[in-house]
Amino acid sequence: MKHTLCAAAALAFFSLLSIDARAQQAAAAPTDPQIAAIVVTANQVDIDAGKLAAARSHNKDVKSFAHLMVTDHTSVNKSAADLVHKLNVTPEDNPTSQSLKQGGGENIAKLKTLKGAAFDKAYVDHEVAYHEAVLDAIDKTLIPDAQNAELKALLVKVRPAFVAHLEHAKHLQSELGSKGE
Amino acid sequence: MSSSAFGARAAVFAAAFVCALLGPQVARAAKHVVTIEGMQFSPPSVTAEAGDEIVWVNKDLVAHTATAAGRFDSRTIAPGHTWRYVARVPGNYAYECTLHPTMKATLVVEKGNGRRNTK
Repeated sequence: MKHTLCAAAALAFFSLLSIDARAQQAAAAPTDPQIAAIVVTANQVDIDAGKLAAARSHNKDVKSFAHLMVTDHTSVNKSAADLVHKLNVTPEDNPTSQSLKQGGGENIAKLKTLKGAAFDKAYVDHEVAYHEAVLDAIDKTLIPDAQNAELKALLVKVRPAFVAHLEHAKHLQSELGSKGE
Repeated sequence: MSSSAFGARAAVFAAAFVCALLGPQVARAAKHVVTIEGMQFSPPSVTAEAGDEIVWVNKDLVAHTATAAGRFDSRTIAPGHTWRYVARVPGNYAYECTLHPTMKATLVVEKGNGRRNTK
């Protein structure tokens, strides 16, 4: 039962952005206010997961990664909020931001049922998948569709941080794997 | 006593005179700027002379550090902030951002010969 739920949650998460890509082809591309909401939500979801992992993990490397996610994504969201304020844009909820929020909530709910090595593995695995998915969205949707030059520039500027986080998470993933945890 | 006072004054005067003559020719420490942007140190390798100043400028949206374990450590450089370090001891220092282990770079400190052109 638990496995079915996890699988369903994972499936929902992984299909999220491909659904978005398909929807985008069929329907209109996201507007700038919608892109703003996607950026803010994507960061917030990872901040929430990071706070949980920083508090619950006993693995030094996982803890410091989790702290980093909280710090970095908070910084990115501050920049996003400053820009949104400057451009006088009100972030607009949309199917992508809603699915991100839902996927983030499901991840937290799942993590709360786990402990020790199982918790670390689930958190780090999800971080790898999450950063891959967000990078995919940045490249295929967010940067190409952003209309405002400053919003586009912010996305371009943010991208390398997601790349570095992904590499960091993959390194942790292989470290946890090699310990046989 | 008065002759020693005279001697001291003369020495100070002579020293000042020599400094005034040589001052402009004594090499001034150079400044090297390392820009932190796009999760990278740029340039990835800097060669400085002992006594030179290296300035790291964080142009990213997230905080970084420039850390060579046991040698120098900027601690957190917040976005939009800088950190200055005067390199004293010659050597080849690999350094990294302790927050983001994918960010690595090198600082080479050569023995200063005092005859370089600044900048």
